[in-house]
Amino acid sequence: MNVNTIRISQLSFGLIFPLLISGFLSSPAYAAPVRQKIDNAQLKMSITPRSANQMAAFYEGREFPSAAIQATRDACFFTVGIRNRLSDILWHDITSWKFVSGNEEVKLLTQDDWKQIWRQRGIEQRFQSTFRWTLLPDSRDLQPGEQQGGNITVPRSDKNFSLLASFATGENKKGKKYTVRFNNLRCLKEPTP
Amino acid sequence: MKQWLVGILVWMIALGAFASELALPKGVIKVTPRPAPALSLKNLDDETFTLSTKSQRWAFVHFWASWCGPCRREMPSIEALSKQAEVLKLDFFIVNTAETEDIVFSFLGSVAPDVNTLLDLDGLVTENWQPRGLPSTYIVDPKGRIHYVVLGGQNWHRPEYHTFLSSLASNPP
Repeated sequence: MNVNTIRISQLSFGLIFPLLISGFLSSPAYAAPVRQKIDNAQLKMSITPRSANQMAAFYEGREFPSAAIQATRDACFFTVGIRNRLSDILWHDITSWKFVSGNEEVKLLTQDDWKQIWRQRGIEQRFQSTFRWTLLPDSRDLQPGEQQGGNITVPRSDKNFSLLASFATGENKKGKKYTVRFNNLRCLKEPTP
Repeated sequence: MKQWLVGILVWMIALGAFASELALPKGVIKVTPRPAPALSLKNLDDETFTLSTKSQRWAFVHFWASWCGPCRREMPSIEALSKQAEVLKLDFFIVNTAETEDIVFSFLGSVAPDVNTLLDLDGLVTENWQPRGLPSTYIVDPKGRIHYVVLGGQNWHRPEYHTFLSSLASNPP
């Protein structure tokens, strides 16, 4: 994005999905998800696991067909919020992020992976478009002070994950790189009745 | 005396233009002008609206969806702003992203019944514009080039936005 104005402070933009889904959190039907946060001089980042029912309820509310809902149930969703605290551009590129379980690397499902899933299931374009808006963009520059929110997804499993999220900085991504790590991430299970 | 007054007037207009360049309202970002992607969509009455590259006016292009919280909160002020189209000398292209006519109709009926929204039924026009999120607004010059991007929901009724938008008509690109 060609931005001439360098500083954007306190934008109300971003974190749309966390705001939307927050309604579910107040529901007594769901156990409180374990939200992890990192807050340092470079960035503020949070990650919150979502259960299959939480996600299904959201997409059912948008009239998604059952084949699409089932696809969301096969994946594990984490809602991510990021705020750039630097006075420089911060870049995220989730294709460079690593989800690790033990010694095994778990592949993040990207926008392209989801396009393929929707194509295989014959999901209408309008649902694909709405779904895309609920995902964290694969790659994005965050201007100083800007925040961003959305989901990242991996294939559903019972394993424990660690996430290593790396960030480039500077207009040409040639500035200092930062990496943050979240441990003990799990797909959120439905509470037992 | 008359020349002196004209001189002051010119100076004030120039100063106003300079000031508006310096102090953009919250969320408004000036970008290097670039051609806007195509936009030709129908509204709820099946009328087609097309963003022109040979217009007489600047255009306010806005993308929204009813499931987006900031979009919902912002819509009444978008409605109020769009009623000022003639005063501001702006063309409005308010685009719903990938929702059905029924959803849009029932949502606007309760929140902003006078908004003339266009329907991007499959969401592909929105994807071509590549907004950074919803809601997103673009300010496009009469030749179809994007000059400003507005991120997130804003209080469009505030004077600074009115001043900024009304200054566009007197600032040829």
